[in-house]
Order: sequence, then structure tokens, then C-alpha cells
Amino acid sequence: MANYHPTDELLMAFSAGQLPNALGLMLACHIEHCPDCQRKMHQFNELGGNILDSLEPLALDEGAIGKLLERLDEPEPVVEKVEMLPGIPRPLQRFMPAHYDNLAWQGMSSSLKEFTLDIDDDRYTTKLFRIAAGKQLPEHTHKGNEFTLVMKGSFSDKTCNYHAGDFVLADTSTRHQPQAANDSDCICLAVMDAPLKLTGTFGRMLNPFMR
Amino acid sequence: MNSLPLTKSRVALQNCDPKPCVDRSLTTNVTDYSSSSLEDLIAAISEKRDKRAFVELFKQTSPRLKAFAMQCGANVSDAEEIVQECMLNVWRKAHTFKPKSGTAITWLYTIIRNRRIDFARKNRHETVSSDDMWLEESGDELESQVHHDLSGEKARSLLDALPNEQKQVVYKVYFEGKPHSEISKDLELPLGTIKSRLRLAMNKLEILAKEQMSWLIIILLMNF
Ligand SMILES: [Zn+2]
Repeated sequence: MANYHPTDELLMAFSAGQLPNALGLMLACHIEHCPDCQRKMHQFNELGGNILDSLEPLALDEGAIGKLLERLDEPEPVVEKVEMLPGIPRPLQRFMPAHYDNLAWQGMSSSLKEFTLDIDDDRYTTKLFRIAAGKQLPEHTHKGNEFTLVMKGSFSDKTCNYHAGDFVLADTSTRHQPQAANDSDCICLAVMDAPLKLTGTFGRMLNPFMR
Repeated sequence: MNSLPLTKSRVALQNCDPKPCVDRSLTTNVTDYSSSSLEDLIAAISEKRDKRAFVELFKQTSPRLKAFAMQCGANVSDAEEIVQECMLNVWRKAHTFKPKSGTAITWLYTIIRNRRIDFARKNRHETVSSDDMWLEESGDELESQVHHDLSGEKARSLLDALPNEQKQVVYKVYFEGKPHSEISKDLELPLGTIKSRLRLAMNKLEILAKEQMSWLIIILLMNF
């Protein structure tokens, strides 16, 4: 079970249907396996229901009900069935071309590989990162916000350990050097609004290629 | 005979023995839905596929659904279309409503929210849809621990529990989805004030949630 959760503000915006696509999908992945956030989501949906209930009614077009009644017996649109990839959260199923092991990972270095997911979003880029078992990334900060969800394995960063399901927010003030656990590669989903900015010497060398 | 008004022909039918060929919709007991709760209307739609229950549900809820779409920024004709899509989904998905895991108005909220989002996305030709984020319109994939058999009153009190200044910020989040910095500009209030009002509202909701949970525990204990 996750130890690190999205903030209440993010959960409320998710319930309100107001998050950008990439971030919304990421929250959905976390919530799928987090009873705490499911409970909060329930609460925020209920608040949404209260808000709907409180609105001043607006009369509909006179023909609206007639038009609707005519459509009730229309055949329902067929939902395309997606072959489910085992071990992948449901919200990502349609956007994953293959299972983690069969993705066309792009090498940034031997310790870090990435794969960009094709998710329409005006603001955010969505990527999967794969940190090799036991490897540590060069220290870096972020120009903007970066949201990370641990999908598989675990990584540690200074004092914290993050496991599958954990939701981590790094902002411009975060300076970190994540290290994957020794026993397996760590796969993370990352949603970011600006390229990484590396701080160490190694980082400065790598920076032009690391986006 | 054909030119008789409907009311008269109905009387005529009631006075004679029902024959096998008589239109059953005129002779079987007709439920009066005008004072039914939203929950009962949805149940009638789901179980009996009753179009009259559907018309009544439409009467009771669609003006607020339209107001919701417009508050979220839709113009009149888009709002009408979003309500059409919403009600069509209500007809098709009525069986997914589980009275034990939430109120009818909450369920309707999740449907209008999703239709509003998908309407906007369709116009932008985006592939992500509300189905990717929310399973079966229920808004939450839980076999809920939170039960709402307690009372409708309790559920309604969420919004009422917030003072107006907090309510105002919450409305902005739900309808406009603006970052806090923009809400602060709109309302001409410092960013810190917006954040703290929202935080206070969250805390209040959390307290209410805990109260609901403890009531549930008391009820469970009483049942043993
Ligand atoms: Zn959580």
C-alpha cells in the first residue's frame, strides 16, 4: 500500500475533472490501488454532487426531452476492447504499446532509460523511466514540477524510500539523486512540465542530452 | 371512437374486461413517479427500463445539469448537447448506480463531469477519455467502506458545513479548474488566503468524513 499520496488539492481537482490529461491519468493509476485516496475521492465526488444540487435550475430547450426519447432505443456505441496487459494499471492500458520489458526504451545512459508515452496534453510530457537495479542517477533539480509515480520496484532518495504506488512531487526546490534498489530495476511514470536541469559535474556533461 | 380524447378512452378501457389484445400500457397499473426520489427513479430505469421514470428524472435533474455545464464554461447550445449525452448515459448505465456506495446526485455529478470533459476533448480531437480515468462512471473503484444508508441529510450537509468564503473557492476549483494563483487574481485576494481557505475546507470535509465513518462503526456495533 502506498505511503506517499497526491495532495488533497490535487485529489479535489481530479474529482472536479479539472486536471490536465497526463496528470489525471497518473492520479487515476495511484487511486486504483490506494484505499485512502479512494475514500477521499468519494468525499470530493460527494461534494461535487452537493455543488450540482445547489445550482439554480436552467430551463432546457423545449424539444430536449423529445429529442432524447427518440434516441433511447438507439443501439449503444460499441466499446473497443483493449487487450489488457498484465501488471499495468488500468488507466494506462490504452497508452502502453507493450509490457515494460518489450518497450523500445531509449538509452540516456546504461543506468537510465526512458520511453515517452503518447498522451495528448498541452502542458505536460509523460514518460516512463527505468533506473537499473542499484544504480544512482546524477544529482539534479527541476525547472518546473515533476510528478512521479513508482510503477514497479523501488528507489530511495536521501532519507525516503519509495515503493510501487507511491506518488512523489518534485519541484524547483527539490535537489535529488534517486537510487534504484539492488534487487530489481525501478520503473517510474513521470509527468513533467520542464526538462531536467542537472547540477553536478557529471550532470552538466549529460544535460544537453537529457530532456 | 378514434377521435375521443385520450382520457375518455382510458376510462372506457378501465370499464370493460381487459382483453388480450388491449394495449397493456393503458391497462396495467401505472406508477406515479412525481414524488419519487432520484434513487427510486434510477432504480425504475435500471430494473424496468421505464421511460416515464426517465422523463421524471429528466424533469427533476436536467435543469441543474444544464446549469452545471454552463458554470463550467459551456455556451447554451453546448450545454444542451452535454445534457443530452449525460441523460443518454443515465439511461444506458442506470444499472451501475449502487445506492450503497453513494447518493444519486453524486452519481449524476460523475456522469455530467465526464460528459463535459469528453465533449471538450472530442472537439480537440484528443484520445484520452473519461473512461480511462474513471471506471463505469462510478467515480471510484471501491467496494465502498463508506456507506450512505445513513441519511440523505448527512450527505447534503457537506457544502452547508462550509462558510461562504470557503465555498466560493471550492466552487472555483470545481467549475474553473484554475491554479490557485489565478483564483487569487480573480477574487483579488492574496494567494495565501486562497490556499488557507481551501485547506480549511479540506479539514472540515475530513472531519465530516470521520464523523460518517464513526457513525458507521456505531451502526455496525449495534447490529451485533
Ligand atoms: Zn493514495
